[in-house]
Order: sequence, then structure tokens, then C-alpha cells
Amino acid sequence: MKRDLMDIICCPLDKHDLDLDVESEEDDEVVAGTLTCTDCGETYPIEDGIPNLLPPDMREETPA
Amino acid sequence: MTGTGEDLASRRGVETDVYDPAEDSRLLADVACDEVSADDLVLDVGTGSGYVAATVADGTDARVLGADLNPHACRRARDAGVEAVRADLVAPFCDGAFDVVTFNPPYLPADAAAARDDWMEVALTGGETGREVVEAFLDDVARVLAPDGSVLLLVSTLTGVEEVTAYAGERGFSAAALADHSFPFETLTVLKLVR
Repeated sequence: MKRDLMDIICCPLDKHDLDLDVESEEDDEVVAGTLTCTDCGETYPIEDGIPNLLPPDMREETPA
Repeated sequence: MTGTGEDLASRRGVETDVYDPAEDSRLLADVACDEVSADDLVLDVGTGSGYVAATVADGTDARVLGADLNPHACRRARDAGVEAVRADLVAPFCDGAFDVVTFNPPYLPADAAAARDDWMEVALTGGETGREVVEAFLDDVARVLAPDGSVLLLVSTLTGVEEVTAYAGERGFSAAALADHSFPFETLTVLKLVR
């Protein structure tokens, strides 16, 4: 994800801002890292350049 | 059996985990290319393969994000050059962020006999009425729209264009049909919703 996505995304639970913690970056894109809600403290992973902003109870890889 | 979920699911290719672009995707992408300006920020909800998002980005030079619940879809959209976000509809996006939101929703009424319990079912069916996902989307999408923002929503006669228009009206939207395309088993319409 691009860093300026931070201006567009928020915590899906309470809509507060997120903090970005970058683990790796390539070609101006964050490839791996963590997004943390500044209010509730919930964390959201960034993996393979894709932020996973599903609420924790929806994160399973299977649809059911 | 024309028009059942099972029939359409098989016609539309259920061998993959991600819905491939079809007539509905192309109709929505064509309309969106006409409606979107280069300086707009656009969100394609349920981006799937990323076809609509990539087509609109290429056709208009606008920045287009793609959101999907399905991790396979997110990866495929990213491979297609789309900025992908794994999301439940518009839940993780800031208030007033988008000039245009596009959505080709899962809209087929669920057929219990054809229930598949996999990602393709999630991509195709919208609950018993076919409108459950559309209604959840309409409940929250106004929040993420800029003041003059609009929604481009693909609706099928199988879902009920009048019912969707009425529901959108209850959420403060007025609807105009920008394009239709008829097929033997359904008519597809792109609705533009504005407040």
C-alpha cells in the first residue's frame, strides 16, 4: 500500500485514525507492517502490500 | 431453470475463488469511465478480479482503490495493478473520502439447494432476497462520499431495481438509470445515486 492511503483509511470498528508501523517497504509501497487504531488499539496487518482492514472476527481465510 | 443461482453460478464459472469479469462488470466499467474525472478519488467495492477498478483507472487517470472481503480477490486485484484493501464493504474508509463509489454487488437470491459455502457463493449471492449485501452497502456508503459524491451501482432485474431504488431513497439517495443491458435471463441496470 502507498503511504498516502493513511489519509483515506480508518479503523473499521470505531472510524478513528490509524498509526502505521512499517516492517518492509519497496518502490514507495509498504509491503509489510501493522496498522494500529489510535483509539481502541486494535491492530490490522499489512501483508504482501495489502492492508487487511477486516474486523478481527471476519479475518479467517474461509468464507463460512 | 433459467435464473436460479445454481444455473447462473455454473454459467459464470465457479471453478475459481474469484468472480471473473462478465457482462455486468463491463457495463459498470463503461459507465464509470464516462462518469469519473481524472482528479476524482474512486472506490470500487467488491472489486474481485480488479477489472472495473483497473479499467476505470486506465480510462480516466483517476486514482481508484479496490476493496474486497475475499483475500484471493485482493491479491488478484493487486496483481492487476489495483491498490487493494481487504475490507467489509466501506467500513475502513474515512468519512467524505470518495468522489465516486462503484459496486457490482453479489445480487443473486440465494438458492438453498445450490448453497456452496465457498468464496464464489459469497461473490454471487445476496441472501434470500438477493439484496442483503446491497442494503448493507446502502446503509453505510453515504458516510464515505464527498459532499457532491455519487454511487454507481449495478442492479439486476433478478435483484429488483425498484426495491433497490426504494431502499436507496430511504437512505437519502435519488436514483437515475444511466445504462441498461438486457439478456435472456435478466436485465442489468447501472444506477447513479446522489444525495
